[in-house]
Amino acid sequence: MTTRTTSLPKSFHDAVVKWREAFLPDYEFLLDNWDKHFPNDPQFELCAYRQLGMCTEIECGELKGKPKYVRAAEMVPEQAHHLLGAIRAQASTEFGSIQQHRLTLARAQDEGEQFWILRMMAEELRHGYQMLHLLAEDDWSSVSKDSSSEMIEEILSMTTGSHVLGAFNIDFDSFVDNVVFCALIDRVGKYQLTMQRQSAYQPMAESMPQMLREEAFHLAAGVVPMRRWVTSAARDEGFITMDMLQRAINKWMPRGLEMFGDERGGGTNVRFGLKPMKNAEAQRLYREEVEKVVRDLNLRYLRARLPELSLAEAPRVLDRLLAGEVTDGVRPEDLLRLPCSGFLRRRGVGAFLMVGTGGEPYDDLSDYLHHLAGALPEAYRVGRDFKDYVDALGQVRRGELTAEAAAAQMPALRRVGGACPCSKSVRWVVDAEAAPSTAGA
Amino acid sequence: MTERTSSPAAADGLRIRPLGDIDITPISSIDEKISGRYRPEVWERQIGYYLRRDPEGSVVAELSGEVVGFMLGEVRSGEFGLEEPTGWIEVLGVDPAHRGKAIGRLMAEALLGHFRELGAHSVRTLVDEGAEELRAFFSSLGFEPSSLRPFVKTL
Repeated sequence: MTTRTTSLPKSFHDAVVKWREAFLPDYEFLLDNWDKHFPNDPQFELCAYRQLGMCTEIECGELKGKPKYVRAAEMVPEQAHHLLGAIRAQASTEFGSIQQHRLTLARAQDEGEQFWILRMMAEELRHGYQMLHLLAEDDWSSVSKDSSSEMIEEILSMTTGSHVLGAFNIDFDSFVDNVVFCALIDRVGKYQLTMQRQSAYQPMAESMPQMLREEAFHLAAGVVPMRRWVTSAARDEGFITMDMLQRAINKWMPRGLEMFGDERGGGTNVRFGLKPMKNAEAQRLYREEVEKVVRDLNLRYLRARLPELSLAEAPRVLDRLLAGEVTDGVRPEDLLRLPCSGFLRRRGVGAFLMVGTGGEPYDDLSDYLHHLAGALPEAYRVGRDFKDYVDALGQVRRGELTAEAAAAQMPALRRVGGACPCSKSVRWVVDAEAAPSTAGA
Repeated sequence: MTERTSSPAAADGLRIRPLGDIDITPISSIDEKISGRYRPEVWERQIGYYLRRDPEGSVVAELSGEVVGFMLGEVRSGEFGLEEPTGWIEVLGVDPAHRGKAIGRLMAEALLGHFRELGAHSVRTLVDEGAEELRAFFSSLGFEPSSLRPFVKTL
């Protein structure tokens, strides 16, 4: 297994470093404490990795068996257009998640958990860097009027509220969000990266293995603290309750499902050999995996709550509880449940339908809002994302907007960056003699 | 590491895949079946460690979607005077209900293949003198006693 390590051209690299200084200010603190929390692990390096020796033939779709593309110009324009969209979306998610995590990182109650998240943030930065590397290394002029520099600048200027995917436009409310986000939203990332490992575009496929290795740890950075928290909750210790976790799951799961795209789509990506699965299939596998995670959390909770339960008894007791039975003082509502796929959806099948966490339909908007008040974190409900959703839902219910039109306007674009000299966007750092001509002030 | 399906000697439908976060509960359960001890916190810590280090350096065996075995390891350099990259198999377990299906062998083959890809020319493990079954297992894989012997002092 051979891996090639490369860096972005200096001006782009420096722009990412500048971005890091703005949005990941604890980076140096992470490196200073690396050996304490991750002894003997190789020190983090901001670079792009490409795995060599991977499959060189297209692995799925109409062109299966043909040589993979090494340049975007070799692809038909529609194919390259889809690929470019995926790279930009992927890059946006990587940088976007760091902006979200930083808001509540300091609220971690456990130093170890905090450093896991901090390391994960640094690795997400590297993943974003990896995607920018794909933009910088190839010529995308056949499918984009924007130069690579402009595309990179656009991505680095995005902030929470202007990212490509909805899940990355939602502010975190507490450290619970940092952790639940890793367990649920990074898991979508794992599916996307796994599919892109087979991309017909060789540079994309070669970028995936190292990202996937790192993503495996990101999922653990979510699941392991959640397992510890449900254990503490079962013992009435700590500050994080099952209700808080349930509300966080309800907040993030709908966004996770929507990250796969509309359930009716994805065929074009398969046909073009960019991904091996359509949206609905990948989404189904994802949901099944999250169901396992939630079941394992419930088992962990139950065995902490009822220590006398044996390995064989625990699943049976759990099933009885999930069926609605009160057992040994544990109530069904003490457990975690995955909201149904139609809950709180604003894209795809069921967008803007009023469906409860258990799949129950609502006809009356105020009844539904009352249900949401009992299902979502209070801090989230007073935020802009929820307000936008409720506004759009009201318009759809009153017939002022179709569900499709409402879906199209979410997330609302609130780009604070751009060409304006007073913008808060990250600008190129020009201190290289051969800086690209697009570099700005 | 690519996923591997069963060889003719192994149970049908056996799948070897890299370790993941969703394996904590099944691995803890296998350990409990073998040792009689429920200690999920140990496996949360251990699996967190191996996922952080190299998720492909550890594998689980799945039979009909159920995890029936695990083998955790990694490649390290510079320990005990062994400067060259060396593969280490550190923890393994097979569900007692699924023994005799060549699950351990398949997991070892997958792991050894990965260690080779990472440049390791040898793989090491430690086996208790009294663990005859484990000794026989590693011997059947071609492991031989090493001149490097463990020493311990009680503190």
